[in-house]
Amino acid sequence: MAGNQLKLYEERKERYIAAMELKKPDKVPIRLQLSEFTAKYAGYSYQEIYYEKEKNIDSVNKLLEGFDLDTITGAPSLWWAGLHDATGARYLKYPGRELDPDTQFQYHEEEYMKPEDYDVFIENPTEWILNNFLPRLHTEFSTPGSYRANVSLIKGAFGFATQLGRNQKAWETWAKEYGAVPTFTAFSKAPFDTLADTLRGLTGIMMDLYERPEKVRAALDVIIPHNIYYGMATSAGEMEFPLFMPLHRGAYPFLNPKQWHEFYWPSLKKVIEALWENGKRTMFYAEGNWTPYLESIAELPSKSIVFHVDQTDMAQAKKILGGKFCLSGNVPNTMLSFGKPDEVRDYVKGLIDEYAGDGGFIIDAAAVIQGDAKEENIRALIEAAREYGVY
Amino acid sequence: MTTDDLSKAIVELERDKVMALIKERLEAGDKPLSIISKLQEGMTEVGKLFESGNYFISELINSGAIMKEAMVELEPRLTGSKQEFRGNIVIATVKGDIHDLGKNIVVMLLKGTGYNVIDLGVDVSPEKVIEVVKEHKAPLLGLSVLLTSCLESMQQTVGEVKNAGVDTKVMIGGPIINDKALEYCGADFGSTSGSSAVKFAEEVFGAKK
Repeated sequence: MAGNQLKLYEERKERYIAAMELKKPDKVPIRLQLSEFTAKYAGYSYQEIYYEKEKNIDSVNKLLEGFDLDTITGAPSLWWAGLHDATGARYLKYPGRELDPDTQFQYHEEEYMKPEDYDVFIENPTEWILNNFLPRLHTEFSTPGSYRANVSLIKGAFGFATQLGRNQKAWETWAKEYGAVPTFTAFSKAPFDTLADTLRGLTGIMMDLYERPEKVRAALDVIIPHNIYYGMATSAGEMEFPLFMPLHRGAYPFLNPKQWHEFYWPSLKKVIEALWENGKRTMFYAEGNWTPYLESIAELPSKSIVFHVDQTDMAQAKKILGGKFCLSGNVPNTMLSFGKPDEVRDYVKGLIDEYAGDGGFIIDAAAVIQGDAKEENIRALIEAAREYGVY
Repeated sequence: MTTDDLSKAIVELERDKVMALIKERLEAGDKPLSIISKLQEGMTEVGKLFESGNYFISELINSGAIMKEAMVELEPRLTGSKQEFRGNIVIATVKGDIHDLGKNIVVMLLKGTGYNVIDLGVDVSPEKVIEVVKEHKAPLLGLSVLLTSCLESMQQTVGEVKNAGVDTKVMIGGPIINDKALEYCGADFGSTSGSSAVKFAEEVFGAKK
C-alpha cells in the first residue's frame, strides 16, 4: 500500500470500528450501499455491469475516485449474470435477457418448496436442496445426473469460484489504491427469512403459520445451525468487520406479534448470539419498519449488532437501543432520488444533531441506493456528514 | 362489527368453519350471491382490522386464501344469476417492475369490498393498460410500483393513459409514493396504504352514482 492510502485505510477503519464499539470516532463514519448507482455514475448500463466483470469492477474504481466514503460494499451487484445463465436460474431476471437492457435485475419469488417437502427437508436439508430444490430453480439442472445437469454443475461451480477470485483481487486493489474499507465481510440470514424468502415464498409461509406451524418450527430448528455455520464460513476468519444480514419478513406489519415472537425472533436471536459468541458482529439491516420490536431486539448482547434504521422510528430506536448498539441510517432513498441537495443536507444535519452526539452512529441511506439517486444528492449527503459530523 | 356467522368465521380465519357454513347454506337453499355477500362483509371487516393495526399481512393473505377457496366452491353455481359488482377496476404493476405484494393486497381489499378487479399482473406495458381499461370501461385504474428506479415507468404509464384520453381516474401506490412522486407522475391519487385505495375507490364510484 502506498503510504497515504494505507494511512487513509487505517483512519477509516478505526472510525468505522469505533462507532460500532459505541465510541466517539474523530468523525461520524459514512457508510453507503451505492449498488446500482455505481453503474450509473460510471456510465455503464445495468446489462454491462451484471454481465461484464471488468466493467463491474471498474465502476467501483470510478466511484472511489469520485467520493469520500468510509466504507463501501464493493461490486454494484451481488450477482454475476453469466453464472446464472450457465445454470439457467429461474429466480433472477436480468437486463438484456428477460428485461430491458437498462433495467435493474429482479428476483422472481415463487413457492419453490411445496408444503409436502417439509418432512424430507427437515430430515436432511442439504440432500433435499441438491436433489429437489436446485433442479426446480435451474432449467439447466432440471434433470440431475443428465449430461446438461453435469455440465451446468461444473460451469456453475467454476463460475462461482471465478467470481469470488476476481472480487477478492478487486478488493485488494480498492484497499491498496483507494484506501477503501469493507462494510461487511460475511453474510447470513434470519432462519425465518431463509424459509420465507427463498424456500416457501410469502404466501406459502403465511399459510404454513396457520396450517402446519409445527413443520415451520421444525424447519427453523434445522436452519438455525446452517445459518450460523454459513455466517462463520463466509467470515473466513475475518472478525473485525460485521456480517451483513438483510432482514425481511420480520418487519411490521408482515407477521402478527404472536407469530413474530414465536417464529421470527427466537430463531434469529439464536443465530446472532452464536455469531457473537464466535466473535462476529451482525449488521442488523432492518429493512422496513421494526419499531414495535425494539424492546425485544434490546435483549441481544451489547454491541453484538449494528442496528440499521430504514423506516423504523429513529427516535424510538435511539431511546430503546442507544448506548447498547451502534445505530445507522436513515436518509430516505426517495429524498436521494427526488429531493434537492438542500433537503438532504438538512436531513443529514438533523440526524447528526439528534442522534450522533454521544458516538455509536453511522450515517447511511435508509436502504440500498439504486441507479435513480441523483449524484448531487449523494454529494450533499457526504458533504453535510463531513461538515456537521466532526466530534 | 359483522354479526353473521359466516362473515365472522372468515374474519376469525376459521377455514373449516367457513367451508362448512357455505355447504350448510347451499343445502338450505341460500343463493350463492347472498353467501358471497356475507363473505365480502367479512373481508371488509378484515380490511378494517388491517387498517387499524389489529390485523397484519399474515391475516390478510390467509383470509384472501380462504376467500379464494370459497369462491372455487361458489363460482360455478353463479351461472344464471349475475353477480352485482360495484364497478370495474383495472390494476397492474408498471413495466420494468415485477413486485406484486402491495398490488395483491389492494386487489384483495377491493375484491373484498365488491369491485370487479381486473388484475393484469406485473411488468405491464402502458399499451396493455390502456387497452384493458378501454375494453372494460373501467372508471378507475390502479398502478403499483416498488422500485424507485421504476417511478419513471410509472410517470410514462400515467402520462400515456392521460394522453390517450381514456375516461378513467388513476391511482398509484407503493412504498415510495409521496406528494412529490404523485406530482411527478401526474396521477389523481397516490398512497402507500392499501386501505386508502379502497377509500379512493369509494369516492370515484360514489360520485358516479
